[in-house]
Amino acid sequence: MTEAQIIKTLLDFIAADGTTDDEFSPLALEIFAYQFENNIPYQRFCRQREKTPRTMQSWRNIPAVPINGYKDLTLSCCDPEAAERIFMTSGTTKNGVRGKCHHPTLSVYDTSMITAFRQRFMQEHTKLRMGILFPTEQTMPNSSLAHYLALALNEFGSDGSRYLFNDDGLDHEQLFAELDRAEQTGKPYALLGASFSFVHVMDKMSHLGKTVSLPEGSRILDTGGFKGQSRELELNEFYDLLEARFGVPRDHCINMYGMTELSTEFYDWGNATCPSVKSGPHWIRSQIVNPLTGEELPKGDKGILVHCDLAHFNCVSSILTEDAGIELDDGFLLLGRAEGAEAKGCSMAVDEFLKAAQG
Amino acid sequence: MALRAGYLPGINANDVEWQTLTYDRDGQAIEVLVPLLSDEQMKDLSGRIKEVSRQHLKSMAVSDITATIDAAIARLLDRNDTYRQQAEEYLPLITGYDAEMVRLGLTGYLKTFRQSELRRFVAEDFVNPKILDEFQPLPKGGYGRAYGPDLLAHIWAGNVPGLPLWSLISGLLVKAGNIGKVPSTEPLMASWFAHIIAEIDPKLGQCLAVVWWKGGDVDREQALLNQADLVMAYGNNDTLHQIRDRTPITTRCLTYSHKVSFGMVSKAALDTGKAWEVAHQAAYDIVRYDQQGCYSPHLFFVEQGGAVTPQEFAQYIANELDCFEEKFPRRSLSIEEASGVAAWRQSEEMKSFFAENNAVMGDANDAWSVAYSEAEEDLAPSGLNRTAKVISVKQLDDVPARIAPYKAFLQTVGIAAAPEELQRLAGMLGAVGVTRISALEHMTAPEAGWHHDGRFNLLDLVTMTEVERSAETAAEAFSDYVD
Amino acid sequence: MNFDGKIVLVTGSSRGIGAAIAKAFAGEGATVIVNYVQNVDAADEVVAACKEAGGDATAIQADVTSGEQIQALVDQTLMDFAKIDIVVNNAFKPYTFDPDNRKQFWDLEWQDYQDQLDGALFSTYTMCQAVLPALKKRTQGSIINMASDLVARPTIPYHDYTTAKSALIGFSRNLAMELGPLGIRVNCVAPGLVYPTDASRKTKERIKEMIVAQTPMRRIASPEDITGPVMFLASDWSRFMTGQTLYVDGGLVMK
Repeated sequence: MTEAQIIKTLLDFIAADGTTDDEFSPLALEIFAYQFENNIPYQRFCRQREKTPRTMQSWRNIPAVPINGYKDLTLSCCDPEAAERIFMTSGTTKNGVRGKCHHPTLSVYDTSMITAFRQRFMQEHTKLRMGILFPTEQTMPNSSLAHYLALALNEFGSDGSRYLFNDDGLDHEQLFAELDRAEQTGKPYALLGASFSFVHVMDKMSHLGKTVSLPEGSRILDTGGFKGQSRELELNEFYDLLEARFGVPRDHCINMYGMTELSTEFYDWGNATCPSVKSGPHWIRSQIVNPLTGEELPKGDKGILVHCDLAHFNCVSSILTEDAGIELDDGFLLLGRAEGAEAKGCSMAVDEFLKAAQG
Repeated sequence: MALRAGYLPGINANDVEWQTLTYDRDGQAIEVLVPLLSDEQMKDLSGRIKEVSRQHLKSMAVSDITATIDAAIARLLDRNDTYRQQAEEYLPLITGYDAEMVRLGLTGYLKTFRQSELRRFVAEDFVNPKILDEFQPLPKGGYGRAYGPDLLAHIWAGNVPGLPLWSLISGLLVKAGNIGKVPSTEPLMASWFAHIIAEIDPKLGQCLAVVWWKGGDVDREQALLNQADLVMAYGNNDTLHQIRDRTPITTRCLTYSHKVSFGMVSKAALDTGKAWEVAHQAAYDIVRYDQQGCYSPHLFFVEQGGAVTPQEFAQYIANELDCFEEKFPRRSLSIEEASGVAAWRQSEEMKSFFAENNAVMGDANDAWSVAYSEAEEDLAPSGLNRTAKVISVKQLDDVPARIAPYKAFLQTVGIAAAPEELQRLAGMLGAVGVTRISALEHMTAPEAGWHHDGRFNLLDLVTMTEVERSAETAAEAFSDYVD
Repeated sequence: MNFDGKIVLVTGSSRGIGAAIAKAFAGEGATVIVNYVQNVDAADEVVAACKEAGGDATAIQADVTSGEQIQALVDQTLMDFAKIDIVVNNAFKPYTFDPDNRKQFWDLEWQDYQDQLDGALFSTYTMCQAVLPALKKRTQGSIINMASDLVARPTIPYHDYTTAKSALIGFSRNLAMELGPLGIRVNCVAPGLVYPTDASRKTKERIKEMIVAQTPMRRIASPEDITGPVMFLASDWSRFMTGQTLYVDGGLVMK
């Protein structure tokens, strides 16, 4: 298949109502063959794992690149120079190198995002007045989250929707103005942003003694976790606070689980209980595996999450994350980072060594 | 049936809070009760031990103490002894190490604490061992006597069976009172040893105790740190840092941090007749206690130019690890440990894409991994749990300079080389901070009296009280027979 | 015996014993490289049969007496499949077992011996050299070389053929010693007369009956009779066996 054919097939696939394993697997294998042939570092990775398109039977066996691979390798089927957009990973860098995902076109990414967002966040609404607690994509051209939020705003934001960020950061004045306005009009309002931004906002509101009661049908979308950016909160505490400060019930506070290394996002159906069950649209499948052998673990066992995202066609569909999880019937539970273990004796482990060697 | 860890002389078991540690291995669950002393109890216990240590222990002869330890060790070496049988039965279940490995490892280890070895231990640090019992003339003049601390606190870590015995016996040999805190990962061996000592010599049994607290319980830890004259601590750098910080300034704190040990193989050892044997020895060191010891090798520098290439040597090691998996199966890994191994393997795999001959051997399903590299690599730990790297080098003489920046992590180097090479390399390695050079297959079984991390096991624990010549001379004038 | 995901290379497998071996492996889930020298149609048929049997297969042409072509065969296999698990050295220089028209010793030239050595031994030697780097990297692998029960008991002295097969067994044993510490096993299967194959097509009934009379199992082997032991030596079931020769001839030879 050529790049153009893949893109067309994917767009049709995404547009379908739902797809079975029998429909998912063949397309996954086609995309795998395409990536094997055109993404040379990935081909080498597959050969090391002794896997080629010839021997691949199911999407479940597609070699999953560990997330760190994006820092060590350039994983792109198209010429990196020809990419329409490059998203770069945030988080810890390795020798200052950030992982890159090249997108020859954003059409697939955008369609994936819009289709799922409509179904999982907008739900009964066609448009909502929105406030975005994050910089614009002009300010952060290499941030996939910035692009995601820009899409949300442009596709689903009704008149008056806006960014609540300026050059200095969170624009509290505008934010509170919007919140008050929403309270008064009684029309549902949506607030979207990074989890740590919400923490900052709520701390500010607490400082001012301010709470609002957003109208029924209002929604909150948070994503990204707190590490290093704000004080850390227990999930229950976080969602309780959101409910208290904004008057949005916990089951309307939706968490989005995504990453630069994917072109599709996961959502939950609200956070009435934590941790919530995450699930994605029909063009992405997940597995829980033993991180060493790659072997799938039974439902209910704790393991490491692997995602096979057909929409991420230009890089690598299958990614081995660093996140631990448990598979359930209707999705998976996200249990946070799986840290490496320390030695049980006096033998040094890699993490400790790196820390000591750098310090 | 729950096992009981700890040894608390003078404390009624009913007066202590007991917690249950559960070990779940391949379907079998073992419960071990561990004692959690209150601050008051710790203070009282410390006080009593210090008292007995001063009154009784200091007047015992070292030779009596070695005899008692020898008797205790004899019991643990005797496969018919109940304590030995308990060790063989429960230690594999608790640590996960293969039962055969534990059995053979225990015997080999315990042999280094027999009386003949203990005497060597003492002689290694004290030219005149009597200096521990009574004042002896010093070379510089005057007299000196070595005194062990009244209370030596041990904070042990890790699950290599029996490791606490090393420092505990060192403490007894210098006539210190001892309180040792066992790690949650293996709380029994030290406890059993203490019980046996008490059975053989009740008075000596009052001079030591084995306690427990949960890792991170800084308050409990502080209670002991405040009472001790000397602290010996094992663990990772963060742990050691905060133990040292919280030890009172007037109390010495000896820390033993994690190490990255490695092997070196000369082309002299790589002929078609002997190369396999060397690979077998190297693999054995990797396999012992799944590389959890400070002396376990993470990597091997292998010299080019022999009939067997470094790449082939790596392949031999790989197959040896496969064979060892039959003989001493590796313990099953937790998800965190598996993640650690996976991360190392994946990192090595990525590196192999950029270099033609670099390779990672072993299936992800195998209980081992060997990475082979021809690049100029630095010292770095492996993923542990039977993962190792073989680095091809032009000549072994180049290695010491390469590892010099990592002095803080150096300890053991296992060498397979010709005699002149051994001498030459020893000099170069010593200069950059290596403290122990052994043969392959012996890296994980140090001799009795080895200088752990280059330190003096017994000397470091004592203080020397000296009677200067001036005091002697001055006293002459006050004798009733002065002329 | 499950060969799911295993890559099996069988030389000379477009017909006869080789084809039977290929199909048998495929029946247990293997992916088979069907090597042939001329008969591309027959090879394609074997490939089709393999796929029907539940496995996978691909045909690759290579003359096993050419070092270059063997290397190309191995390279192509690694290109497509990224690994090789099992090698069956089955191809040999065509030989006709005709007791009534065989060359007696004094009519043979050294070149006759040399031809058979090149066919049986050189091809196996070259194949082993070519696949070894790939096998050594994985510290596992099984090589099965096809010998002959005539080595143990030359009921009819086909001097050139049987001498080469004898050398093949010695070669295999030495290779087993060298490769054992690397986790790679080398074994031989020694069939007796197998019918029908190209080599045995002309064998007279009289001869076959003579052999049957001396065979405890009272019949001549079919190609399918040879496949089981080959697969056994390729599988984990024989994981602690190396340097062995299995005589598969109904008990004619007992060793």
